[in-house]
Amino acid sequence: MIAYIVNLATLVAIFGIAAASMNLLIGYAGIFSLAHGAFFGIGAFAAAQLALNLTPDLLLAFLAAASLSIALSLCLALPALRVRGEYFIAASLGLQMFAVTVFHEAPSLTGGHGGLAGIPQATLLGIEVGTPWRFLAVAAVTLVLSLLLIQILMRGSFGRALMAMRDAESAAMAFGKNIPLLKTLAVAAGCGLVGIAGALYAFHISFVIGDSFTLEQSVLLQAMVIIGGAGTLAGPLVGTLLILLLPAALTFMPMIPPTEIGTVQQFLYGAAMTLLMIFRPGGIAGQSVGRR
Amino acid sequence: MILRRQFLVGAAATVAAPSVLRAQGAAYVLGTLFPMSGANAEFGTMYLNGVQLALDHIAADKMLKNGIDLRPIDSQGTAQGGAVGMTRLANVDRASYVLIGFTGVSKAAAPIGDRAKVVMVNGGGVGPDLATLSPYFWNILPLANQEVRAVLPFIKEKGFKRIAMIYTEDPSGMAVHAELKSGLPGVGGELVGAYGVAPTLTQFAAIAAQVRDVRPDAVFFASVSGVQAVQIVKQLRDNGISQQIMTYSTGNLPSVSALPESEGLVFTGQSADWAATEPTMKRFVTGWREKLKSEPTTYGLNYYNATLLFAQLAKGLEAAGKPVSGETLREEMLRVRTFQLAGGEVTFAENGTASTGVQLNQVRGGRIYKIA
Repeated sequence: MIAYIVNLATLVAIFGIAAASMNLLIGYAGIFSLAHGAFFGIGAFAAAQLALNLTPDLLLAFLAAASLSIALSLCLALPALRVRGEYFIAASLGLQMFAVTVFHEAPSLTGGHGGLAGIPQATLLGIEVGTPWRFLAVAAVTLVLSLLLIQILMRGSFGRALMAMRDAESAAMAFGKNIPLLKTLAVAAGCGLVGIAGALYAFHISFVIGDSFTLEQSVLLQAMVIIGGAGTLAGPLVGTLLILLLPAALTFMPMIPPTEIGTVQQFLYGAAMTLLMIFRPGGIAGQSVGRR
Repeated sequence: MILRRQFLVGAAATVAAPSVLRAQGAAYVLGTLFPMSGANAEFGTMYLNGVQLALDHIAADKMLKNGIDLRPIDSQGTAQGGAVGMTRLANVDRASYVLIGFTGVSKAAAPIGDRAKVVMVNGGGVGPDLATLSPYFWNILPLANQEVRAVLPFIKEKGFKRIAMIYTEDPSGMAVHAELKSGLPGVGGELVGAYGVAPTLTQFAAIAAQVRDVRPDAVFFASVSGVQAVQIVKQLRDNGISQQIMTYSTGNLPSVSALPESEGLVFTGQSADWAATEPTMKRFVTGWREKLKSEPTTYGLNYYNATLLFAQLAKGLEAAGKPVSGETLREEMLRVRTFQLAGGEVTFAENGTASTGVQLNQVRGGRIYKIA
């Protein structure tokens, strides 16, 4: 049982980082991206390739994953500078679909449809950290550091400028804020962070495949942020806990027949999400719009 | 007054009691890691139906001293679902034997099962890379590369010299390509054109034109997708290719065999004769039809057999007075190697891959006939 809980907790930490990075875009900058799953994958593939061909060092994997994600995030920042709202969503959707095609059709980089298997256990400065408890500790520390970084950034002038841009882009521009630069930095920071989450994911699962980073993954990350509470520090973590642990908890209910477990799980899960959105639209940890 | 020796004996008995009781009567935990929700839930249900039918038969026959406790976990058909589900089955449910489906799920779950020494049995995925995942990962169906060898004698018999091939660029498609490329010279043939396509592609007019240009005697296609297979056959015929078309087990799908353009299609497939008189197969077919009111499928058969295999292994261990665990199940499999399952004898190789029979079929008038 302990091993199972440790495994779930590690996933919560990894997806907590990914959701927090998504929150940077949605919650603080008002950039609704549907391509976050792709950057999660880019980080995962970068770390996997590094581990399989060079070294399983986690710090180097973080560096490679974040650098590649940030570099490629310019592909997302470019449309973000020119369009806003639903037009940006459509542009990011296109990028997500493009990325998934590359994941599947570039076997030398991603293993193609077969994925990359046999990723070795992670090391950190020469110390083996692949055991479940150690990896949980590493993932949890990375999560805490990520949240701290976001908190520091959002309390400073950069964060206030992002929130001003989110609330009224024209007004922020009128006050002299460099909107294109702000958007580029926000996208780069969000994508860099989700790249790190992707690297952790690759080491944790030991196997990466393009199917894990589809549009569904992007939507799942969005759901974690919106359900938990966009624009709050704790919100993405609460959303992650709910989305990852609720289905796991349901499997322990003995009254659900084995053959119907999937159907019942989907039904309860969907109903819970709908009720949450009706009675607490700002998310579980979110504040009212007026107070935010 | 209790003497110290009596106290120690009592304490030892108290500590040992649960494990003794467990050894005497606790049910064996059998896990399943199938997609039970989402787009692939249909497959998961089909797999589970095979497992449950086998459990009914095992219980009716009183094959084991202890019962079997089924723990189905929804893998959602994803790698992450596979990793989480396998961790739970290995560490919470303490399953010693897990039935698994889907290549991505299998690859993510295999390292976890390997570490926990849990036997995992695949009855759905055909990618050849599944043969080398772990000593504890077994395949109870012929993998794509094994299956395609059965078509070579047919090519020789018909005197086909020039073969063109369309294959999906995934592990199974690429393995079939490699197998055919290396096998054709041995039967006097050659691969005159090979066209790799994405598993999601549905437009084949341009490829059909290229195939026509190389003037093949026959065309072989390898795709696990029924939707894609239908499009390949239809568009090859629509674009004027009248030569023999061949494929592997995808031809078994009703959507493919029922297609008018599939007339004459030759395909390999796992041996599965629903009209067989062999008692275990007859019982499976009858049981499936009675319980599920539908025709049996090879997927259902594979998981039925995988469950029967567990019962036979556990029975052997019970007879030898050994505990049932992943390690002992593997030892027993390596000791016995050949098992009598539905459809006949199945022999496992050292790596846990079964060599089941493969047959050659042909579509005639929308029906499937065994030709070799």
